[in-house]
Parts: sequence; structure tokens; C-alpha cells
Amino acid sequence: MSSQVPSDLKYSKSHEWVRFSGDIATIGITDHAQHELTDIVFVELPAVGRQVKAADACAVVESVKTASDIYSPVSGEITEVNKAVVDDPALVNAEPYAGGWFYKIKLGDAAELNSLLTPEDYKAQIGA
Amino acid sequence: MAKVIAEMLIDAATMELPDTKTLKLKWPEGYDVEFKTGQFITFYWPDTPTYKRAYSLSSCALDRGFYEVTVKREGKMGTRVVDWAKVGDKIGVLPPAGKFLPVLEPNRHLICIAGGSGVTPFRGFVREATRRKLDTKITILYSVRTTNDIIFQREFLDFAAENKNFTFLVTCTRLIPEDPWTGHRGRITADWVREQVHDLPNTVFYACGPNPLVEATEKLVLEELKVPKGQMKVEKWG
Repeated sequence: MSSQVPSDLKYSKSHEWVRFSGDIATIGITDHAQHELTDIVFVELPAVGRQVKAADACAVVESVKTASDIYSPVSGEITEVNKAVVDDPALVNAEPYAGGWFYKIKLGDAAELNSLLTPEDYKAQIGA
Repeated sequence: MAKVIAEMLIDAATMELPDTKTLKLKWPEGYDVEFKTGQFITFYWPDTPTYKRAYSLSSCALDRGFYEVTVKREGKMGTRVVDWAKVGDKIGVLPPAGKFLPVLEPNRHLICIAGGSGVTPFRGFVREATRRKLDTKITILYSVRTTNDIIFQREFLDFAAENKNFTFLVTCTRLIPEDPWTGHRGRITADWVREQVHDLPNTVFYACGPNPLVEATEKLVLEELKVPKGQMKVEKWG
């Protein structure tokens, strides 16, 4: 089954997606990632107010088969986290690009956006 | 068949490595489930019934009365099992499932490629073949970072001494050059796998471990060795 790669998002090599709205970015994991992980049973999110750097491990996702760190695709301050995925981790499987988002971050370095993957780049990476 | 969820007592908890523990889960009275070597069980702690993890059985189908799983300290479940699980604790267990099954037929050669804790189901393969004194050949090619990361080393060496059809080979990927290890080094390569193959049509390839290793192995076996897809079975995140 081919994975969805929405055209309005940016991506990281480690399978996170980024949606920009002004200087706020929303982060989640891709449809491909949730397929690979299988049924997600636990999500741990960073504290609001935490400063993270790009490529920092800042969240944990655990499926029935494995546990995996989530790396922040961009630097900045965490402004909001999605408690709904903590209460119902299956949301990440059901709606990876909507209700399954992980956290929002106030961008610290706009130049980092250039290092993210385009939807085409990401499709090529996952062979979609 | 209705799903039988059972509460099982931890009958033994054995540290295999500083970060890896084997749990022996005792079947409760009246529990009698048919299962196959190579399958996995899903379990949970009774205080968090919605948080479940699946682990390959490291025991085999000849073992009645208990299951064994070997768990690495990874994630919330792995940490709780390795740091806290002890004899007498209760664990909820869903029945075995999965299709990562050994083809234990005469004249077959099973080449089992493992990374890290992905070796655990292969202990069941070898245990069954050895106990049944089968002619099936089994070769394990096991990729670990260093010699300190080899799970079941003693057991596999004992099986190899007892079972002439079983070969246990390890490659270390992150040893310092000065390390006295005389075995294979570096990642699993097509040449190393090819060296083990003597009768390709009767060889079945298995890969179990982290996704990148399993995917690289699939590519290596299917594309470089040109093995038909039907002769390969994989278990990701195993």
C-alpha cells in the first residue's frame, strides 16, 4: 500500500512532517512512518517551553513492535503539545497528518527550512 | 477459535546481557494453546491493559507449559521488563500469532540473518531442530555491534556442538581494530551470505531485526543473490 505524502508539507529524513503557519511549525510523523511502526501504543511528548535544536530527540513513540525516538526537524521553543495522542496513541495511525500531530514549535532559525525535504524528495526516499 | 487471553506468572527472569532479559511465563492451569515455533506473543502488565507489546517467542513449540520471550531494554515496556520484572509477577498474554515459521523439512537449508535482539526467534528454530534431531540445516548469520552484544552465545555454541547441521556465525560491526576478535567484522554482505549457500533452490532465507537491517537484507537476498521472493521470510522490528 502506498503511503500518503501531502504536497503542502515539508519532511525530514527521519520521517517527521512539518506544517508551517507564520513562525509556528506543527510536527508529526508521516503516514509511511506509522505504517512501518505498526499499531502505536504509547506517545511521550516534550514539555511546553522546552528549547530544542534540530535533530534533537524530543519525543518517543512506541508501537506493539518497537520504540522509536522522534527527532525535531527544526529548532525552537515548544509552544503546544497534542495531549490527544498521549490519551489515544492510535490517533497517530488513524490520522497522521491531522489529529495525530505531536507538537507545535516557535521557529528559532528560518534558515533550517531549506534543509528540509520537499514532498518529491521524501517520496523518492521512501520509494513512494 | 476464540482468543485466549491468560494471566501468566513469571517463573524465571534471566539476564542474558546487561540490557536484555529472558522471561519464562508459566501457563496457567487448563491453558493449552496450539502454536508454532517462530510466532510472537503480545503481552501487557495488568495495571496498564491497553498498553501492549509484541515479542517473538525465544522458546519453541516443543516447549509446553511455558513461553519464553527475550526482551531488550528499549521503550517503556522494555525498560519495565528489564529493570523491574521479577519471578512471581503476573503478565497478561495474548495467544501466539505470526507467520515467521521455520520450514523444518529434510534437505532444506535455513539461512537466518539477525541483527541485535532479532536473533531471539532463531533460538526457537534451532532448539526445535536440535531436539527433534532433524536433518534440516540451519545457519545463523548474526550482526552485533561488539562481542558484548551477542545474545545466547553460550547456548548457540552448545547447539552447534550437539547439532552438526547447525552453524552459528557472528559479525561485529563496531569493534575497535585492536580487539582480539578473530571472527567476521563489518556488515552482512552478499558475498558472506553467498558463501553459506550450497543448494539455492532448497535454501530459505529469514531476516529478523531492526527495519534497516531487514530491508538491507531483503535487497541483498532478492536483488543481489536473485533469490525468488517465495524463499524469503522477514520479521521487521523483531
